[in-house]
Amino acid sequence: MNATNHKRFNTRAGRVFDVFNVLLLTGVGLIAILPFVYVLAGSFATELEITTRPFFVWPNEFTTTSYESILSSDVIVRAFATTIAVTVVGTFVQLALTALMAYPLSKVDLPGRRTILSLVVFTMVFSAGMIPTFLVVKDLGLLDSYWSLILPMAINPFSLIIIKNFFQQLPQELEESAKIDGANELQVLRHVVIPLSKPVLATFALFYAVGIWNDYLSPLLYLSDTSKWTLQMILRQVTAAASLSAEEMSSDVPPPAQGIKFAVVIIATIPVLLAYPFLQKHFAKGMLIGSVKG
Amino acid sequence: MTTVLEVDREPGAPPSRTPARRRRLWTDAVRYRWLFLLMLPGVLYFVLFRFWPMYGARIAFKNYIPFLGIDGSEWVGLTHFREFLSNPDFPRLLENTLILAGLSLFIAFPLTIVLALLLNELRLQILKRTVQTLVYIPHFLSWTVVVSITALLFAIGNGPLWTFLGWAFGTDANFLADPDWFRPLILMQEVWKNTGWGTIIFLAALAGVDQEQYEAAVIDGAGRWQRVWHITIPSILPTIVVLLILQTGQILNTGFEQIYLMSNSLNRTVADVFDTYVYFAGIEQGAYSYSTAVGLFKAIVGLVLIFGTNWLAKRFNQQGIF
Amino acid sequence: MRSRKRIPVAILAVGSLALTATACSDDGAGSAEPLESLDIMAPFFSAVPPEEDDPIDAALSELAGLDISVQWVPNTDYGAKTNTVLAGDDIPDVMVIQGKDQAFVQTAEAGGFWDLTEYLASGDYPNLVTENPEVQEASSVNGKVYGVYRARDVIRSSVILRQDWLDNLGLELPETTDDLYEIARAFTEDDPDGNGEDDTYGMINPMWGGIGNGSPYDAIEVWHGSGNLWTEEGGALVPAFTTPEWSQALEYERDLVSNGYVNADYATMDPATWNEPFLNGEGGIILDVQSRAAQLVGLFKEQDPDNFDKYVGLAGQLEGPNGTFAMPTAGYSGFLAVPRAGVQTEEQLKQVLTALNELNTTEAQNLMNHGIEGDNFTVEDGVAVFDTSKQDFTDQVTGAWAQLGMNVAGYNAYPLQQPTEYDQALYQLRLDLQAEDLANAVFNPAAGFVSPTYTTNGAQLDTIIADARIQYIAGQIDEAGLQAAIDNWHASGGDEVTQEINDLYAELN
Repeated sequence: MNATNHKRFNTRAGRVFDVFNVLLLTGVGLIAILPFVYVLAGSFATELEITTRPFFVWPNEFTTTSYESILSSDVIVRAFATTIAVTVVGTFVQLALTALMAYPLSKVDLPGRRTILSLVVFTMVFSAGMIPTFLVVKDLGLLDSYWSLILPMAINPFSLIIIKNFFQQLPQELEESAKIDGANELQVLRHVVIPLSKPVLATFALFYAVGIWNDYLSPLLYLSDTSKWTLQMILRQVTAAASLSAEEMSSDVPPPAQGIKFAVVIIATIPVLLAYPFLQKHFAKGMLIGSVKG
Repeated sequence: MTTVLEVDREPGAPPSRTPARRRRLWTDAVRYRWLFLLMLPGVLYFVLFRFWPMYGARIAFKNYIPFLGIDGSEWVGLTHFREFLSNPDFPRLLENTLILAGLSLFIAFPLTIVLALLLNELRLQILKRTVQTLVYIPHFLSWTVVVSITALLFAIGNGPLWTFLGWAFGTDANFLADPDWFRPLILMQEVWKNTGWGTIIFLAALAGVDQEQYEAAVIDGAGRWQRVWHITIPSILPTIVVLLILQTGQILNTGFEQIYLMSNSLNRTVADVFDTYVYFAGIEQGAYSYSTAVGLFKAIVGLVLIFGTNWLAKRFNQQGIF
Repeated sequence: MRSRKRIPVAILAVGSLALTATACSDDGAGSAEPLESLDIMAPFFSAVPPEEDDPIDAALSELAGLDISVQWVPNTDYGAKTNTVLAGDDIPDVMVIQGKDQAFVQTAEAGGFWDLTEYLASGDYPNLVTENPEVQEASSVNGKVYGVYRARDVIRSSVILRQDWLDNLGLELPETTDDLYEIARAFTEDDPDGNGEDDTYGMINPMWGGIGNGSPYDAIEVWHGSGNLWTEEGGALVPAFTTPEWSQALEYERDLVSNGYVNADYATMDPATWNEPFLNGEGGIILDVQSRAAQLVGLFKEQDPDNFDKYVGLAGQLEGPNGTFAMPTAGYSGFLAVPRAGVQTEEQLKQVLTALNELNTTEAQNLMNHGIEGDNFTVEDGVAVFDTSKQDFTDQVTGAWAQLGMNVAGYNAYPLQQPTEYDQALYQLRLDLQAEDLANAVFNPAAGFVSPTYTTNGAQLDTIIADARIQYIAGQIDEAGLQAAIDNWHASGGDEVTQEINDLYAELN
């Protein structure tokens, strides 16, 4: 494969393009990361430096006081653990439910398929709103339960449709031959479809994980018990403070220091960033279909 | 179906599906029992968490007061819809919303595809992975953070970008307040924040492309551009089409937070969109009936657009979403 | 066969789950039994909310005679949470209500909250009897008091200036709006920092939404005599922005801007960065609450520990061309209301009011505003001295528990120890200025009136005027454009609001 790989790129125009592409994407990468670097640098800077310097990527005076003041609280540490647990369990549950539903819907001859899909699309453009959903969660007895952070958003219609379409594009003969070997639909899903769809499932695992991780509305509405709060909920008051109106700014309680806000952004972002390269492994397995066939 | 399958399928292989014939419900149920069973948890989810709450959406036709409950609140019919549609600001809100949605659909969305293709062409694996990781980071910064960084960059007098643009083009525009700059700034923020993230889905699609195809194309003497055009793009086309259809359904949803945070007294004429309007007219005031009515209106428009574009996609022989 | 059996079983299983869950969630809230605990819903500003085992919670519970359990909600999202809570059936006994928005007013008028007017007036709860009847009136819904308001200083607005710049230029603190104009000019044109460069300006104004909510513009308009949101003219109330004094003030503001005496980004500056130009020596005047002066002194202390006392000058409110008027605050910030769904009988209500009465004792005020005496603070010579190693706890107390403080019958907690003599002098100056300005305060005569049209359309109506004001100041529109905006206000519901307010004015005065 390497030989052909070389051959297919090694023309002059190809090389010029390669150089251009490397430069361009390096630039894009830098632009993407620079503001984040500012936040990172700001989280280690003194309040005075943040106030007096317009934009910087390295603090003149290095300090960890912002982090110390946030992490000194046991509450944050506990919320961190809670969030990781809910995210892991939730991602698994949500992805499993989505894949289980996507698979039958990928069969074009399934009776009622079009109706179900139309209804799914309808839920995508129209959600009943905060209060009606709250009432349902309450009636199901899920208030103050961690399941309230997972189940109401278990299947994202958007993800469902994309995954369904990926399943639909898989070569049918692999499934057919598995069925001839006596496999039932669940076994086909487990042993043929899912292994072939790892890149897309990894992608949506990430989408779901990020959704749960960043969600503050569900804990706000469904969890009254402070001790069950997730990280985003605990930090909500700090992260949202930047959007306070001037009127609120002038209240008796001074707004949180900029450095604290930056540190909170970093703390809340780093774990999901760390998850990415882990999933990226699966994206790289581009040869899957070929190798199965071969 | 798409070209991908055509290529994947070995020559002479029989078509894998027989068209479903009309049968009696009973035989269907038996034949598809496993599929129905697999789908059951998902269907239950939609019934419980998506459709059951919609029964509560009848507050759009009522004067909903939480304390009185949905049933106890007064029935007002289409009053809220009329109030919304007869609002003198309605044409302006519609125009602003559509322009922003158009920018997102026709500029931001194609840029995502371009970036995904460029990334796919990158041969240096280490660089590819690094750039991929970098470009997806902005997605995790909230709009609050993005907007305050924008303000910092374009600050009059000392903002790095303001200084640079002044030096390069001799402009001293007040970018944040100038109505002419509102849309470009919104677009720039969106591109910066979400383009990298959006590539993930295409890269997943590209990961599924059979490498043998490329090798076969090389042997046939296809150039690099030809390979992108004939193999790479067709293989992500179904994904593009589906995303496009789904995005047209969201055309009236510009999002609230970003626009709200970027708007001010001097650019409000171009910044007012449905979502900010509903926020101030409805949610902030606790007027849930009104905001639900607007939500319903937007949903109907979205639904029509989704079915319309899906129909178009089918006409062009694409898979669509159904 | 198998499939036919399984599907109904599964549905049944889920169905029964839902049924039992519904049965379980009904935990008997809202019975007629005497209360054993007091559930309160309140916003918090602190980085982290207090826990159930919080020492303040225990101490307050003991004082109140009921086990207090607070449901803390981030201040940012308090409104959304309030409305979902009202829609459910697990409603707390006491809720902090932040403002008279549509949901609250409609709920109150539908009987969702206890009308406390009589109970508070009865004198049975001495700590709940207001020392400021105007403020209680302002917090009411057309005269009906639905909650015990959370008292705030009535005078907070002030002029904060770079004292060192004034000294360099040989200028005095301003006393009139003309003085302020001259200082803004001098700070812009006369090189107040003496560095030989034209790199300074006068006034720093941030972006500000709405009208009549304490912006620098509002202050200037009140000083000019426009009245406070509403003003009486020939026996009827008219909006302040229809008065000639208001137009005069707007001209003053426009001149400041067009001459470059105000920061160029006044329409967009994030209020969170308000201190920065002042600290960096770019701008020299801030019209804002007095406490910002103390905040700035703290920042200068970090920047220049030896001369920090030379930078900040604080002046009271200014005399305008038409007389002396001072801009007050609303005097309260929301109120603690008692929902009927949680507190069903009058006996229970009396229990709640007794508990709230206890939460307004001096002892409770010290707990809510300072913390635990002997733990995070001690009292020396009658002032509270904080243990800096327990700063996080102190911040949590002031950012969360203090939000429950009502202090309607007076605030008697220990004063705070000021770190230096300079700070002490500044603190005393603030008190003096407050007393001085209170005599000239112009209150909003319509504060206690709830107009149904304003409740639904108020945010948009206010935006029309607030935007037109900035556009006029920026030169984007002229007098005719301003008048067009005011006409638009009248046509978009302003006329109805005026009518409703005046009906209430006639009825209740």
